[in-house]
Amino acid sequence: MSMETNITLTVNGSVVTLEAPPAARLLDVLRERLGLTGTKEGCGEGECGACTVLLDGVPVNACLVAFGQCDGREVTTVEGLGSTAHLTPLQEAMVTEGGAQCGICTPGMLLSAEALLREEPRPTEPQIREAIAGNICRCTGYQRIVNAVNEAARRREARS
Amino acid sequence: MSVAGLALHPFSTPKTLDEALALLAERSARAEKTVLLAGGTDWFVERHVAPAEEAGVLPLVVDVSRLDALRGIAVEGETLHIGAAATYLEIRKDARVAARCPLLAATARDVGALQIQARGTLGGNLASGSPAADGVAALAALDATLLLRSIRGARRVPLAGFYTGYRRSVLAADELIEAIEIALPPEGSPFAWRKVGTRQAQAISKVAFAGLAVVASGRLARLGLGMASVAPTVALLPATRALGLSKPLGEVTDADVEQAVLADVSPIDDVRSTAAYRRHVAVRLAQRFFGELRAL
Amino acid sequence: MAPSIGTSVPRVDGPAKVCGSARYVDDLVLPGMLHGATVRSDVPRGRLLGVDLDPAFDWTGITVVTADDVPVNAVPLIESDQPVLARDEIRHAYEPVALLACEDRLRLAQALRHVTLRVEPLPPVLTIDDALAAREAIRGADNVIKRYRITKGRGGAAVEGCEVVVRGVYETGWQEHVYIEPNGMIGWWDGDTARVEGSLQCPYYVQKGIKGVFGLPDDGVDVTQAVTGGGFGGKEEYPTLVALHALLLAKKSGRPVKLVYGRQEDVEASTKRHPSRVEIASGCDRDGTLRAVSIRVLFDGGAYVTLTPVVLSRGALHACGAYRWEDVTVEAVAVATNTPPNGAFRGFGAPQTIWAIERHLDRVARTLGTDPVALKRKNLLRLGDTTATGQTLKESVGVEECVEKAMAASGYVEKRERGPVVTGRTARGVGAAIFLHGAGFTGSGEKYLKGKVAVDLLPGGRARVRTGSTDIGQGTETVFRQIAADGLGIGVENVDFAVPSTANVPDSGPTVASRTVMVVGSIVDAAAKELRARLEAEEKARGATRSAAWERLAADPARATSLVQYEPPPGVVWDDATYSGDAYPAYGWACDVAEVEVDLDTFETKVTGFWAAVDVGRVINPTLCAGQVEGGTLQAIGWALTEKLVTKDGKILNPRMTNYIVPTSLDAPPFTTTLVEAAYSRGPGGAKGVGELPMDGGAPAVAAAIEHATGLVLDRVPMLPEDLFEASVKGGAR
Repeated sequence: MSMETNITLTVNGSVVTLEAPPAARLLDVLRERLGLTGTKEGCGEGECGACTVLLDGVPVNACLVAFGQCDGREVTTVEGLGSTAHLTPLQEAMVTEGGAQCGICTPGMLLSAEALLREEPRPTEPQIREAIAGNICRCTGYQRIVNAVNEAARRREARS
Repeated sequence: MSVAGLALHPFSTPKTLDEALALLAERSARAEKTVLLAGGTDWFVERHVAPAEEAGVLPLVVDVSRLDALRGIAVEGETLHIGAAATYLEIRKDARVAARCPLLAATARDVGALQIQARGTLGGNLASGSPAADGVAALAALDATLLLRSIRGARRVPLAGFYTGYRRSVLAADELIEAIEIALPPEGSPFAWRKVGTRQAQAISKVAFAGLAVVASGRLARLGLGMASVAPTVALLPATRALGLSKPLGEVTDADVEQAVLADVSPIDDVRSTAAYRRHVAVRLAQRFFGELRAL
Repeated sequence: MAPSIGTSVPRVDGPAKVCGSARYVDDLVLPGMLHGATVRSDVPRGRLLGVDLDPAFDWTGITVVTADDVPVNAVPLIESDQPVLARDEIRHAYEPVALLACEDRLRLAQALRHVTLRVEPLPPVLTIDDALAAREAIRGADNVIKRYRITKGRGGAAVEGCEVVVRGVYETGWQEHVYIEPNGMIGWWDGDTARVEGSLQCPYYVQKGIKGVFGLPDDGVDVTQAVTGGGFGGKEEYPTLVALHALLLAKKSGRPVKLVYGRQEDVEASTKRHPSRVEIASGCDRDGTLRAVSIRVLFDGGAYVTLTPVVLSRGALHACGAYRWEDVTVEAVAVATNTPPNGAFRGFGAPQTIWAIERHLDRVARTLGTDPVALKRKNLLRLGDTTATGQTLKESVGVEECVEKAMAASGYVEKRERGPVVTGRTARGVGAAIFLHGAGFTGSGEKYLKGKVAVDLLPGGRARVRTGSTDIGQGTETVFRQIAADGLGIGVENVDFAVPSTANVPDSGPTVASRTVMVVGSIVDAAAKELRARLEAEEKARGATRSAAWERLAADPARATSLVQYEPPPGVVWDDATYSGDAYPAYGWACDVAEVEVDLDTFETKVTGFWAAVDVGRVINPTLCAGQVEGGTLQAIGWALTEKLVTKDGKILNPRMTNYIVPTSLDAPPFTTTLVEAAYSRGPGGAKGVGELPMDGGAPAVAAAIEHATGLVLDRVPMLPEDLFEASVKGGAR
């Protein structure tokens, strides 16, 4: 029982030990303590999905996870996907297919799509739509995001 | 308060169920508040509208999300046993649930969207006591039994006896929900799951309907019904159940069903829907289910 | 060099956005920065008697700002009626009254609860009807913000003499923008210079606001756009207030202050789409030839004027739809109410009146027993026709082709002929809408705006576009590079886009009104072409190569930059006094077809297919352009089916994303988008505007499809399942 706790977790492949309030939201710890501002806050109540990260490979809303619940776990944020110099096929497709407009939902959207593609390398359109249903995009109408995930699946397959 | 106040909350991560129960017992004896945190899909949301909290009077947050004793999904004999902290995603992906309890699998798939399913739990859904809880509507139709435990021991409470009013239940201050037990219907038993929400995903129900039946020679041998968002607690529709069991299926008319459902529900106008619409939908979904049963 | 215009150049800001390295305002941290918060009223109307700080609370380290701290307490806009912070009068339930700042967010949240407003409540005016009744006068004696009257021919009185007269009343509710990034600004003072950086569409609007309130010269204010997470009009005028609040706190505390709204505060306090009621009486021949129309447009402006007069104007100018009428009267009135001020939202008044005229013509078709598209097609505006304001259409009218393409792609005609398809308890139907949207500012607007753009030659064969037009997701950065690249005859990868900051870019006019590509893009084009001419002259004069000429010009500050001001096309004439003439230099045209499935028990509507054919002139970037069409259409579908703001006693009951319902990927239909290119001679490469057009057609197309599927006639958006249920109870459902 304490207000600050040392917690060890793996973030984007690096082991991190961090002292932070355990009831604080994972979202705030990522953004403010680790400087990983790619994870966005759109609503703070698990509706918009902008703060989606992978927790042990599964998409979750970082605004609904307590930092204290992450001890020993693996967190992947958008910064853990690829860099501007080396985009992953999914990131690349998101740009070329027009899946990102204002970009604020994009990091969370990518993580939901990434989790899908890891589990289902050739998803159907309904599977893609279901996988991103927890990520609200107000710009695109979703069609081009769906196209991007499809295209990413194709490019990943071509690469492997 | 703002979520900034979360930093003040004392937090505990017990390693075992016994440790968690001891903590609960200790605190309830001192009349101290404890929050059992599983998926956080309600608690974190409520923080935004909760009053500004000052240090010193905050409840202890106890993370139960990773207690092994609360996590498993198992089939023992003809009973499906689901740990209270099993997530909807785990339930939805479980092959035994899919095969033997497809109603629950269908419900799990309709809760929020993937991110919510990955965190949300049946135990949390039950404990928070929202009348709109989809999972609880399914458990109602399945006539689930809740296994409650404290340091005083365990007890089993049928879902029908769990709630005492709007967001109130028989759960004692030192008790937690350990598991949900479901007497499995025969494989292939007809069921219905229909969520009428505000949209296709990430929705809170305006009305959600769950039904499960076992049909034998034109009569219902077992009938379970549950409905969300039509009463102060998830509704079990006793009059409609009684109607279904009272005579051969072929003799149950739509008018009978309408009358029974209207006696069973007491919906309100709120920000999500209207009482009149909810009554209409409640009747129609129940009629559809009876229609499907008659057509078997 | 192959032209870049017409190709889907990947958006230039894409890589940073997909890697999480794009910096939005909430991602920025300045040394010593405080966090700000706003204390708001709780009643829709009242007299403010005082602001009390709880003496028992420890106020150390907390900066408090009230109206007393505001140098000139009026936000400069069309009228300066809106205070920066309320002093005496509360005019809506979320009126900002005081500001707090503190380094620690928890202390800030606690302090907010120790501020009490003493308010004497007054009876509020909450609806259009309340306002028109004028039992309480909250603006002048009649609560009217603005009126317009448009007349053509013998006016609307001619309706009565027509063979077939049809009347109807059509309504729309509020719509919230729900950009996924809420409003936010960081403000700080650099000596006497005010600096802000944040989420915004129009840096020069914010600059104007700051100059007015703090009494600063042009060069005493620097406004920079951070990467902006969506706007849709919601970040046109509103960010000025956020910036002013941040700067007031920064001034008093001597520290930078970040003011970022939470979702609930954003929904409650920021602007929304104007609720409307439109009453139409029309007359036509028995063969369906439209003759005369009389239209009364009523908009709820909310508590302050903001942009309401301009929104109302656009609403009035689109009220007759894409059709020929000989005799017209449009009376448009906007009223004040004690609700949060309504403002700019994609479409800007047109979606409300297009909704009305499209639904009305569906009603006329029903009366005549003909298909609505057949009726509408018969009466479409063509080249050479005159609009309600007497504008003769001289070029770029692609509407007929849009209708053809949308019909063919969707199978509309066959589906209508076959009738609704009922399977079990599900009914499927199709519906269409045909519409137009004026590109650029209304009437003389562009003449007064005098938008400017600079293009610079940089060393190394590069060029740079400097403009106040912002990228808020729609792709300005990318398409302006394409236009400049083609103008200069270089590759698009050699063109930079300057971060919009009032210290560095000229005022191109606001990023609104579907004007960015057509109007500002045309001056990007002109500036680039002027530089190209300079380069060619330099080559000839010195017998140099292109690259040598380039480097020489780039090194010469007097010749490296071309700054061009927009010149409205000659022959575009508008008379504000009679509201007649050339309302817009060009129009986008479109035809939408929606296919829906309605559950006949639950009355849920699912849009299962959507075909849009849009004429936006020459398309600069097909992928980005189609993205605008689809995104705008889905906002229209949300407005049509789920987006309802519920209010009680002037307060919003559903100010959160959990209860204000926007579409998810499972609610969105698959889109089939066809781009029709009826070039406009004055647009860059022939382009017109695209931003707003797609917002206009979704709702009436969906309504027509619901009507086809179920026989239910809905004349109000949103059309919730509850509304369909109610309509069915009144009679008519299968």
